Amino acid sequence: MMKPLLEVEDLHVRFHLRTGIVEAVRGVSFQLGRERLGIVGESGSGKSQTGRAILGLTPPPGEVTAKRLAFDGVDLLTASKRTLRTLRGGRISMVMQDPKYSLNPVMTIGEQIIEAYQAHAKASRAEARDKALAMLEAVKMRDPVRVFSLYPHEVSGGMGQRAMIAMMLVTDPDLLIADEPTSALDVTVSMEVLRILDELVAERGMGLVFISHDLKLVSSFCDRVLVMYAGRVVEELEARNLHEAKHPYTQGLMRCLPTLANDVRPLPTLNRDPSWAL
Amino acid sequence: MLDIQNLNVVFGTARLRVDAVKNVSFTVRQGESYGLVGESGSGKSTVLRAICGLAPITSGHVRVDGKAVATPRSKDFYRTVQMVFQDPYASLHPRHTVDRTLSEPLAIHGEKDAEARILQALKEVGLGPSFRFRYPHQLSGGQRQRIAIARALILRPKVLLLDEPTSALDASVQAEILNLLDDLRRRMGLTYILVSHDLAVVAHLCERLLVMRHGEAVEETASEALRSGKATSEYTQSLIQASQGFTRNPSQPAHATAG
Repeated sequence: MMKPLLEVEDLHVRFHLRTGIVEAVRGVSFQLGRERLGIVGESGSGKSQTGRAILGLTPPPGEVTAKRLAFDGVDLLTASKRTLRTLRGGRISMVMQDPKYSLNPVMTIGEQIIEAYQAHAKASRAEARDKALAMLEAVKMRDPVRVFSLYPHEVSGGMGQRAMIAMMLVTDPDLLIADEPTSALDVTVSMEVLRILDELVAERGMGLVFISHDLKLVSSFCDRVLVMYAGRVVEELEARNLHEAKHPYTQGLMRCLPTLANDVRPLPTLNRDPSWAL
Repeated sequence: MLDIQNLNVVFGTARLRVDAVKNVSFTVRQGESYGLVGESGSGKSTVLRAICGLAPITSGHVRVDGKAVATPRSKDFYRTVQMVFQDPYASLHPRHTVDRTLSEPLAIHGEKDAEARILQALKEVGLGPSFRFRYPHQLSGGQRQRIAIARALILRPKVLLLDEPTSALDASVQAEILNLLDDLRRRMGLTYILVSHDLAVVAHLCERLLVMRHGEAVEETASEALRSGKATSEYTQSLIQASQGFTRNPSQPAHATAG
């Protein structure tokens, strides 16, 4: 068996607040190869904090501990800042939720992609420019040269998100973490963005961690799904076996969605069992 | 109950002119629930805002209960029509307690017996009297949306305008709010106009719906037709398909299985 790309064992993220300690992530363990892993949960389940902890992006009062948190054999908790900098954006990158907030508003899209590329590869400006244009074409921009010189506010949400994917993939990472990459987009646009993401991930054989609140979307997009509740993984299953989910939370989460196919009313609601959070 | 004919809403003039709603017509009968579906920028929310006076009616007619609406809207209008907004984190006053939020419409309309009405309104949306003196930050998203619904219902309106009432909520909380809305409509004989980008939510709550795109009506259809996958326009079909989740094109190379 191949060595896993990412190993996470007993990951904890704690926030020391005035009012006490809040544990956002409580002992999450998983391994990831070159596959698509989905992390699903509702707000406050710790799914985003798990993604951020991998990249070392836990915001200040937060504290990350783990028995093991390693990327391709490199321990991310003890690695020097310098090592982390070369990994982050280079071999591991992250697509955030909303392009409106996560792109630099005062730099053109092309400049931002060039900046990302030159931070990790020794390349002349001309090379970087070619690479950026090629990347914009890879995310199916109709007119890459025009988009290259546009500012983020001049493009639509779907285009912005594709620009961000271009920026994140320009360094040929081995692992991509996508935190709700399509939640800010319209349904038809988000399908288009997902299709592009899917093609690029398959083409380059990357590992993908796809974080979302949308169980249906995740199960149709990923190979494997982790369901999180109150900072813990309550269930791990193959995406295609989702209908065989055993945990009442997963089952409840699936049933409470209205669907076009069945007209159920009243909709089954979730009775949160306090023992799930133990 | 509600009759909208050739509604146009235009913002700005000359170079900055935006035709947000173009020639939209529909009617909603008493006790019916009508959906407006579309993607962002389709003008669906603008239609709602035009009905309740938050956006200008450039031309066309909006009739409520057979009477054309006056601008600005009268107090009587707001006794008949009330609105619930999308984001319960933004639509409740952060420094007003639930009690104050709920008593304001009563005070404006000179209603007596505020205390009993407030307790009754809280009961109707499934919250106990213990919520009465809380601030919005002491409530969860679902509880806040219940308060927003209670505020809209406290004047006993006949029509509720619902602007994406569940899209800021988690899936399990969405189910609770949808059930509540369904239940309230049956008990009080309310008429709903629901705006949403989620076809499944609209099909669940509404009998008929209008699909909008770029400010224009694409097609009017029934939820039953949507459920059986019948849609005449290509755009509606693509919305139905997108709502089924991601489908991988089978002609694409399968994902590397070596990992």
